[in-house]
Amino acid sequence: MTKSNDMSRRTFLSRGAVAGGAVVLAGAAGSALAGCSSDSTSSSTTAASGSKPGVGTGTPVQGGSLTVGNMADIDGFYPPNNHFDTNGYNIALTIYDTLCGVAADGSTQPNLCESITPNSTFDGWTMKLRSGIKFNDGSDLTAAVIVANYQALNASLLTGQALTQIASVTATDSMTVQYKLTAPNPGFPNGLTTQVGMVFGQAMIDAVKGGNARPTPVGTGPFIFESWQPNDHFTATRNPSYWRKGLPYLDKITFKPIPDTVQREATLKTGGVDMLVSTDPLTIKRFSDKPDYQVVDTLTGVIGEPSVAFIMLNTVVPPTDDIRIRQALAKGLDQATVQKIFGAGYGEPLDGIFLPDSPYYKKTSYPTFDPAGAKKLVAQYKAEHGTPKLELITITDPRLAQVVQIIQQMWNQVGFEVTISQIQQANLVSNFVSGKFQAATSYQFGNVTPDLNYVWWSTTTAKPVGQIALNFARNVDPIIEENMLTARHTADTATRTKAYQTVNEQLAKDLPYLWLQQYLFSAVAVSRVQNFANPTLPSGAPAYAFNEGIFSSTAIWLSK
Amino acid sequence: MPDDRELLDTGASAQLLGDRFPGMAAMDEHVVAMQSEKLDSDDVLLKRPFGFLFWFALVWIAIVFLAAIFANLLPLQNPNFQNYSALSQGPSSAHLLGTDDLGRDLLARLIFGARVSLIVGFFGVGIGLIVGGTAGLISGYKGGRLDVALNAGSFIILAFPAIVAVIAIVTFWGQSLVHITIILGVATIPLMFRVIRASSLSFAQRDFVVAAKTMGATDTRIVLREIFPNVIPVTVTFSLITVAGIIVIEGTLAFLGLSVNLPTPSWGNLINEGTANNALSTDPYIMLWPAMSMFLLLWSINLIGDRLRQRFDIREGLL
Amino acid sequence: MSKYLVRRVLQLIVVSFVISVLAFLLVHLLPGDPSTIILGPNNTAANRATLLEQLGLNDPLWQQYLTWLGAVFHGNLGTSYLNHESVTHILATGAPVDLELIIISQTIAFSVAVPLALLVSRRPNRPLDNVATTSTFGMLALPPFVVAPILVAIFAVGLGWFPATGYVPFTQNPATNIHDMILPSVAITAGSIAVYFRLLRSDLISTLQQDFITMARSKGLSGRRIMWRHAFRPSSFSLLAAAGINIGALIAGTFVVELLFAIPGIGYSLVLAVNQRDYLVVQGIALVVAIAYVTIQFIIDFIFTIVDPRVVRE
Repeated sequence: MTKSNDMSRRTFLSRGAVAGGAVVLAGAAGSALAGCSSDSTSSSTTAASGSKPGVGTGTPVQGGSLTVGNMADIDGFYPPNNHFDTNGYNIALTIYDTLCGVAADGSTQPNLCESITPNSTFDGWTMKLRSGIKFNDGSDLTAAVIVANYQALNASLLTGQALTQIASVTATDSMTVQYKLTAPNPGFPNGLTTQVGMVFGQAMIDAVKGGNARPTPVGTGPFIFESWQPNDHFTATRNPSYWRKGLPYLDKITFKPIPDTVQREATLKTGGVDMLVSTDPLTIKRFSDKPDYQVVDTLTGVIGEPSVAFIMLNTVVPPTDDIRIRQALAKGLDQATVQKIFGAGYGEPLDGIFLPDSPYYKKTSYPTFDPAGAKKLVAQYKAEHGTPKLELITITDPRLAQVVQIIQQMWNQVGFEVTISQIQQANLVSNFVSGKFQAATSYQFGNVTPDLNYVWWSTTTAKPVGQIALNFARNVDPIIEENMLTARHTADTATRTKAYQTVNEQLAKDLPYLWLQQYLFSAVAVSRVQNFANPTLPSGAPAYAFNEGIFSSTAIWLSK
Repeated sequence: MPDDRELLDTGASAQLLGDRFPGMAAMDEHVVAMQSEKLDSDDVLLKRPFGFLFWFALVWIAIVFLAAIFANLLPLQNPNFQNYSALSQGPSSAHLLGTDDLGRDLLARLIFGARVSLIVGFFGVGIGLIVGGTAGLISGYKGGRLDVALNAGSFIILAFPAIVAVIAIVTFWGQSLVHITIILGVATIPLMFRVIRASSLSFAQRDFVVAAKTMGATDTRIVLREIFPNVIPVTVTFSLITVAGIIVIEGTLAFLGLSVNLPTPSWGNLINEGTANNALSTDPYIMLWPAMSMFLLLWSINLIGDRLRQRFDIREGLL
Repeated sequence: MSKYLVRRVLQLIVVSFVISVLAFLLVHLLPGDPSTIILGPNNTAANRATLLEQLGLNDPLWQQYLTWLGAVFHGNLGTSYLNHESVTHILATGAPVDLELIIISQTIAFSVAVPLALLVSRRPNRPLDNVATTSTFGMLALPPFVVAPILVAIFAVGLGWFPATGYVPFTQNPATNIHDMILPSVAITAGSIAVYFRLLRSDLISTLQQDFITMARSKGLSGRRIMWRHAFRPSSFSLLAAAGINIGALIAGTFVVELLFAIPGIGYSLVLAVNQRDYLVVQGIALVVAIAYVTIQFIIDFIFTIVDPRVVRE
């Protein structure tokens, strides 16, 4: 019964909202980031026909209506006024297209735009739009609209920060947009694959200016908004003039938010939904061996960094401000046990933010499970300051409740006195922001490039307790800062790789985060739902199939 | 055909009650009617012995209380110790009731959990009795402005969405056994107030009270000597049902993460843990033990209440 | 009569006012504010200050309250800070859902409790009574969050008779609407059945012991007639009064069922709003819920005055 507090509509600790910069070289296919891996711990199910789950077989069938069980509802459809989490993206991507998309090999490719090319210094980008694309209200997609989009996003309190590296956006002609950056950034287009790259119609901007906070969605996407009843359902119907010919196959798509995981699964079993998304590893376990269902998960195929579940430690309040305490906490934590119970056996022990098949992976000095070593450190601390007492906070989620109780016992066994508090999601986030916590559960950092995590690790975003800070752990590490910026500004793969490996090693030394395991997303669908994890880019190249729970509705069809 | 009920004239009380919240008054008035009636000495029920069920219930209650009080002395395993090689095991010789999803012994958790549930239930109602009951006792007797004000106050508390209040208070105050007990206790205050006030009110008009007043007895003496003893039966009955209610509500609070701190067991959060994460399908016994214990306890308490009332000529009260 | 009405309306106003103040204070005194949720990763001191200013949350509390109250008198309950839905709309779509839940569940509760009580009260402590009492206690001991998954496992996933989650508006399809609401309604009914049964049984038993019943019997009236006309009617008062309190507790207490069955009711909206510090939504819902509660009490009291001639209306 995982209530969706992790992925509640307003969880900004999720993907893509901060598109400060990117690392992927436009057009440098297959370079920086690995594509799919063949990790042996994958749990892929074979559908009855023996095909790969999520990959359609046979001829696509036109028509039909798909219902998807989401974990939570979206909050609105105007990109400048919302933060899309996984649920938000799944819904929003039915009605909007992003300017760029991520390919299966990890590179960023044009999507809605036709091309985007840098100048020689990577601080100016020229974007050409495809001609003849219309929004679903009949208006044309022109450069002027892109500029207006940028202005709206930039002016918004909610999204402006993501665009600070853009100095100006101008329309040089009706189909060409010129971006000027404040500093070189070879990976700039990657930001355009996220929320701030979603293109919305002028009519929405005008409506909001006129005081309507809930303008009717106007997009270029495969589906057209039909209706939205908050906490009940969202429905969109096929866009007959979608600019990608022949797509989409579905006539209609509906999302239903069902917060309780077990209930969501029950709804799938009873046919109330055809497909669901989940963040509970037990979902994978429960459906893996059922031939009538296809299971796609993030155990394999992760591009960039996966979302990871971790315990966040506040590095500026006692006792966690003492490095020995953080080391003791790390050494006292047995990842294997946590994975066994929380992860249902899925996932590998983590020593950092990269999985072994990532090009940035290098073994770090992250402490291994060593209770004896932990006890020694605690004893040292105790001699000076007395028994270290710790409050471990989490949200009211039954899976996380298991995790914190396991961890409490482990830490108590090495000499800590740990109490557990369950609080509401909003309070937890508030505590993170203001720094009023010692240890807390969290999950984050799932992004196609580590650069998008800059804001969480930067020295510039660490503020004292009581002030707003996005570097929640308040880990001020100049080496991390320096290397994150180096990686952002360089076009050289080797330099970038080294920089990120250094960052990863620093995180293992500073220990603001105690890694638990990969935070797994899964999508389960009945057999007739074809091709929900096999999207293509307009060029025909395969796209990133299952981006931390985000799937593409464009290429889905329902077999008879 | 005339309503023969009118033979029993409790008109005076109806008058007094009718001017304040008539609906509630009708319920209160029922309490009045119950207590005003003559006892039927020929009632066959009176003469029945307690019976097997009564003793069974008494024994169960005693077991639960004693086990809860002396839990530390019993040869139980540590209720919070997680044994990762014994997850979700059914009953066995090592664990008489099995283990839960974190490998903790269910028997130990059940018995230690009884502590929390009983404390929350009985002390919670205790708070309601002391504050709400006393207020109701006095208010029912004295009447007047005080009564109208207190009545309105209890009405307001009942009309406020409880869940908002609980979330807010737990957020301010934090989770702990004491806090939860107090919160739930305070929630019962308006209920206790209403019921005891009604009872007190009914006795306030009785002849013997009027007589005492005429003879010059002070209000205090009247309340303590005349009214209070008569109010006890209804109070006891209603309190027991409320204890039941609170113990169950604690479970819902656990579901919302608003109950006592993990990993403290209580029957409510044992049931919650036994229901969560699809455990009902995979390991239903985890939920079964606390649910059955709770059920048996509620049933026992009420059975005892029933039988005592019958035996000692106390008319079946409102509840 | 009119004096009575005036008094009740005054009572409604006073109670609603006090509750609105309480709800306002409670939710504003909670730590944090909507800015954390709204701004997300854009949370800087400057942005937060601007946002709070825009939302009018920098004004002194009493001013905010009066502004809100003024708007309420103009029929404007405000909008959600998060998804900009108007509070009125939230209530308009959510209230019928909860109303239906309550109506169906109370119908089930009464349909089970009343006949059962009538049946067993003539022979207390006999086997049938023991079975009935025991099973109703069993239901009391199972809170909704336990009953719901059990019902779903058996009747939805197992037998396929009902859906596991979801809601279809009545206006869209009445039959499906009621059909889909059955499991959620049953889930919250359990407690009510037990309380009503116990109340009515206990009342009936004592009523049946009274002199006038003996008199009726000696007059030769049939058992059924005695039961219904003479015993049940007077015994129903406490039942009605308890129903009043119970229904009041159910209003906005349906959160658990709404969460589990993914039903868009106001209980869920209310809790979500409290957690997200969506002040206007909390205040609006609390106010309307309080008014609904007082009105229901009013209606029940009115029924009393009709049913029981001894209750004097002033």
